Amino acid sequence: MAHSRIARHSSKLVLGIPILWIVLFMLVPYGVLLTYSFWLKKYPLFVPAFQFGNYWTLMTDPQYIKVLLRTLKISALVSIASLLLAYPFAYYLVFRLKNPTVRLVLFMAVIAPLWVSYLLRAYVWKTILGTEGILNSFLMSIRLIDEPSGIFLYNQFAMVLTLTYIFIPFMVMPIYTALEKIPRSFSEASADLGMGPIQTFLKVTLPLSLPGVVAGFTMTFCLSFGDFIAPFLVGGPDGQLVANVMASQFGAALNWPLGSALAVVMLFIVLSIISLSDWFEQTGKVEL
Amino acid sequence: MKKCAIYSSIAALMASTVAASAQELNVLTWEGYSDDSFIAAFSEASGCQVNATYVGSNDDFAPKLAAGGGVYDLITPSIDTTQLMIDAGFVEPIDTSKISEWDNIYPKFLNQDGIQEGGDYYGMPYTWGSIPFMYRNDKFETPPTSLASLFSSDLEGRISLWDDKSALYVAARMAGNMDIYNMSDADLEAAQAKLIEQKPLVRKYWATAGELVDLYAGGEVWISNTWGGYQSALLAEQGIEVTEFIPEEGAEGWMDSWMIVKGSPNQDCAYKFLNMQISEQGQCGVANVNGYSVANPVAAKACMSAEQFSALHQDDPDYLDSLLLWQPLGERLEAYTNAWNAVKAQ
Repeated sequence: MAHSRIARHSSKLVLGIPILWIVLFMLVPYGVLLTYSFWLKKYPLFVPAFQFGNYWTLMTDPQYIKVLLRTLKISALVSIASLLLAYPFAYYLVFRLKNPTVRLVLFMAVIAPLWVSYLLRAYVWKTILGTEGILNSFLMSIRLIDEPSGIFLYNQFAMVLTLTYIFIPFMVMPIYTALEKIPRSFSEASADLGMGPIQTFLKVTLPLSLPGVVAGFTMTFCLSFGDFIAPFLVGGPDGQLVANVMASQFGAALNWPLGSALAVVMLFIVLSIISLSDWFEQTGKVEL
Repeated sequence: MKKCAIYSSIAALMASTVAASAQELNVLTWEGYSDDSFIAAFSEASGCQVNATYVGSNDDFAPKLAAGGGVYDLITPSIDTTQLMIDAGFVEPIDTSKISEWDNIYPKFLNQDGIQEGGDYYGMPYTWGSIPFMYRNDKFETPPTSLASLFSSDLEGRISLWDDKSALYVAARMAGNMDIYNMSDADLEAAQAKLIEQKPLVRKYWATAGELVDLYAGGEVWISNTWGGYQSALLAEQGIEVTEFIPEEGAEGWMDSWMIVKGSPNQDCAYKFLNMQISEQGQCGVANVNGYSVANPVAAKACMSAEQFSALHQDDPDYLDSLLLWQPLGERLEAYTNAWNAVKAQ
């Protein structure tokens, strides 16, 4: 008797904890956010209301659309740059490198920076790209330039570079895993059927690794989309991203309703991207 | 019985934390305003332990207090933000009879609307200064004297401005509009356009004192606005020579006041703290740490050297009057912040 009661209660507990977690840490905060987004900014603070003015402002005031488009552009550039660097790297690790120890070391070399503080990693780029930074000193020492150049730091290029460096592990990991799962016999069979290495790559390896690419792309894109440290540290006057605008609405502008509306829109965009990538992954799936 | 013991020990634990917090003051303030160099002696003498949290901007006070009170006892917003604190109900009246040196404070400051409401004072003036401009000595043959330098393409990529609505004040004065705290929508639009035009020349908008120091030290920026006396001293420590100047178009002035957060349980310590801050101990303490001018000239005269006293313009009411002292923007605040955000979004 006592045993079955414990069993019954423990099953409730097993189900209850995740549900409680979701309610406490997801549904309640998002509910609060959604509620705030209908409120009204009124000096000195804001008052409860139900109106769509905040969403209307986001759509009609060009400053918000402009920042949103810029954020999408930066996120896309970061994802593309990460992909172009990560794919050849992961391919080399899985298919070309014969020594498993070296493979592990190289893989860890990409992952290890994740354990270093994000802020520190972003800050390092300031000392590299600055006017009196390492890159300028180097270029001057090899006489490529006569005086330090300011073109490396405080612009969108610096932001893309920094974000690519920070988020590239999230591209390498899924691609590496996807490539590793492809049986070697596939490429041998492809060779037996008269395909060259390039054709084998395009018709066998690449399609089979696509889910990894999609997962990596989604992650780097969404992470860059919500970033606000890189614009703050290495971005210039034209580097404001959506998250910075949101931070300023919750801070300086003291307009939590508008900030909440912006957060809801951002959440919607990120969820759409995730659903899209999920659909893409499902349709492209091949049973191995 | 066992349960009972647990409950009573929890109760004892809670009682002890409450008791401890009654002797503690949590202040939300600017760096230096609660510096150990003079706070340590206060804690020793009064038995009130002071915990400081620092803000980087006047815009940090309201969000921190709006997110739920009960954490901070004292705050130090500037004169453009004090009114908002009162209107939002974040602060409570100060019993000025408990502040022994109250009457020594500059009358000009005590006359400010932003720190009083309905016959009560809500703020105790503490420090003041200007928002001058600053340049690197080694980069200029002829020292700049006008705001025009900040809009000159000769200095492209070497200019920085404070990431604050005060950028609009700069742009307005540049266009000859000195009524910077009563700007109409058209005025704001003009200032906004001027700042957007300036944007390609700007290296970075600085957000914190430390960031501006880094920008100068790293050779990124040659000219900017600054918090008078503060960043220039930090740069001097690093051996970088800069000069502060008040441009022909004038400069803004600021004044910070101590305010008591509504419902603060630590009244006794709070008044001891306020008395200390407005006395020689606090006034010279902060002047020595931050290089700011102070609100109590009687205390300043007693504890400063003659050179420091005049360098901080403590004996110079004309200087104080020449500054455009920040004013609360009230309902216009939203229009100002929106205009500045639009510049940054561009």
